[in-house]
Amino acid sequence: MAKEKPAPYERGIWVVYLLFLALPVAFFLVFYVYPVIDTVLTSFQRWNGLSPRRVDVGWRNYLALFDDGRFWNSLLNNVRWLVFYLFVPNAVGLGLALLLDRMTKGQSFFKIIYFLPYTIPPVAVAAIWRWLYEPNAGLLTSTLSAVGLGALAPNWLGDPAISTYSVMGAALWWSVGFSFIVYYAGLKNLPQECIEAARIDGANAWQAFWKVTFPLLWPSTAIALGMSSVDAMRLFDIVWAMTGGGPAYSSDVLATQMYDVAFGRLNMGEASAIAVCLLVAAAIVVMPFIVFMSRRVARGVE
Amino acid sequence: MSRHFSRAALAAVGALVALAVQPAAAQQASQIWTYWGSGAELAAIQSVIDLNNKAHADTPVEHVVIPGNTVELRRQLQTALLGGTPPAAYQSAMGYEIKTFVDAGQLRPIADVWNKVKGDEIFPTGLQRVMKVDGEPYAIPLNMHVISNIFYNKAIFEKYQITPPTTMAELAAVCEKLEAEKIGCLANGGGYFWSLYNFYAPLVSVVGVDGYFQIARGEMSFTDPKFKQALELYRDTYVKHYLANWSGKTWAQGGDDVFAGRAAMMQIGDWVSGYLKDLGFKPGEDYDYFPAPGVGKAVLIQVDAIATPNGSETSNAAADNFLTTAASPEAQGAFNLHKGSIAANLKTDPSIYDYIGQKTYATMQAAESDNAVLPNLFFLLPTELGSEFGAQIERFAIDPSDETLASVVEKLESVRVELVDQGAFVTW
Repeated sequence: MAKEKPAPYERGIWVVYLLFLALPVAFFLVFYVYPVIDTVLTSFQRWNGLSPRRVDVGWRNYLALFDDGRFWNSLLNNVRWLVFYLFVPNAVGLGLALLLDRMTKGQSFFKIIYFLPYTIPPVAVAAIWRWLYEPNAGLLTSTLSAVGLGALAPNWLGDPAISTYSVMGAALWWSVGFSFIVYYAGLKNLPQECIEAARIDGANAWQAFWKVTFPLLWPSTAIALGMSSVDAMRLFDIVWAMTGGGPAYSSDVLATQMYDVAFGRLNMGEASAIAVCLLVAAAIVVMPFIVFMSRRVARGVE
Repeated sequence: MSRHFSRAALAAVGALVALAVQPAAAQQASQIWTYWGSGAELAAIQSVIDLNNKAHADTPVEHVVIPGNTVELRRQLQTALLGGTPPAAYQSAMGYEIKTFVDAGQLRPIADVWNKVKGDEIFPTGLQRVMKVDGEPYAIPLNMHVISNIFYNKAIFEKYQITPPTTMAELAAVCEKLEAEKIGCLANGGGYFWSLYNFYAPLVSVVGVDGYFQIARGEMSFTDPKFKQALELYRDTYVKHYLANWSGKTWAQGGDDVFAGRAAMMQIGDWVSGYLKDLGFKPGEDYDYFPAPGVGKAVLIQVDAIATPNGSETSNAAADNFLTTAASPEAQGAFNLHKGSIAANLKTDPSIYDYIGQKTYATMQAAESDNAVLPNLFFLLPTELGSEFGAQIERFAIDPSDETLASVVEKLESVRVELVDQGAFVTW
């Protein structure tokens, strides 16, 4: 039998693919690649963001940055946020998901309660928690005072030693809903026969969880950890709205420092240098997640 | 079928691209941008907009709120200026902020408007200085907020028979007396500004008005013994007597402390007067103010002004009409009636002011006749140094140790030297 000529539809389909890809590729080049290149170039200039004049200053912005204690404090805070985001909301979210998984009644109600804070914009979360953290009459201090522990109530957002951790408290309330939903969905999709088999073999609750359930939850954990690492590096809104990076730069992260230097101090050159450093740090932290997800997608396609 | 599909795909892509590049410039021709988005401030600017649109119906303007504060407004402006779609006019700070925009070639000089409204006659001399760059006016001031007054809870003062102090030593003594009675003395708020504003009184009392302007011009080193003396005086009269946990509060929460009697006093801009009234206090009956000891006859002010970027002919015409309206006694009266500040145009009918406003107006008149209206130092310094100054003073107020003092001086001096090298300072 003679080989059939390919239908006109099959020949033309590549044109259609290219046309549909053209727009997202164009967007990617214009709104990602070009700004990154421009930011790198600006980081070698002195520019206030308003003037048509830019002055080349070589590595001066980077040298000034690396000599600035504020930059290293910001970077360290991003590392603190990374450790926090990787472990705390995910552990709490997993715990809530496990609790809810055991419940027979009221699951829908608690699902909403746990997830609802995540739907609130971070600036609104910051405004709420600014009031909760008011050091004299805020809810937290008032509650501690009511049970006789008022003396323990710190200056939540005003003490440089704890300001970052106070903002983390607000972030925990806000972001735990995401981890919870991811783990809850994961638990619902677990093969129950593995867990039952473990129980039959004499495993106690902890052993069943640690040796069977938790390893089976690896896909959910990977997503939760990956998104947490992204959140830790792009952190801005909640810190800026709650403390502005203060007091005295204590709660600064790289993004808030970058914003303040760019628009509060009109120093786009140094702000661009901070942006480049943040890009490099984020790439190092987030790349394992991107590689993992890419391989998963590739395996899924195969 | 593939030909139809390709055409459909092409058409879809083309439509999306066309939508994406639709110009936005025509929509922003006559917008006035401010960050006054709610309450009395929104009512204040809207009253000026309404007056303008009645008087200049052929060039109407609309108010657009840019949520946030100066930093957010700058960010939005920067994007608009780079994109060639600026508003007709916008809310500007004074002094160095105006100079930065002028040096960047982004502001339009308004000599015609200024001369038409007789700006040299109606605005205080000290204020004119910070609306002009190289003698050319670039903005019309709407108001003056006095930031060198200490507001106090009258009930507390009357209960403990305290009279408003007139010297730093008396202020410290009043604080000690109150604290002995377990009453907090001075409320404060966290952030770049409030501690710095409190610092101005000790600073002026040590270096004088001449020294104040030397610092503004970058001529006085922060390592000068007088600056250290000012920091120590600030520590001993203010910082020692701040209410506990002040750094974790906003300025409004500091105002709450005065209202609730947790603190007797607060040195903050006169916007706190409007806030205390909203809480239920009556000016003159429940609260009053006295000038911060140390400033002498001087009055320290900060200003909201309207500036206009280079734009289209339509936009420029609308902006010029709006600026003319904004300078008028009627508009300034309407604006400041809501805002609670003092009109920049000293010919505005003073009957709009409440008790606090009347008192401030009289003080302003006296200071103007002594040529002692001092603009906020934060806005006279190069932007980077002003912000660093505020951050370092807050840092010192949180931890007023000798080590912190030394480190504050070192940091400020390093920034000053770098900016002197760049020729960044202005001879105000």
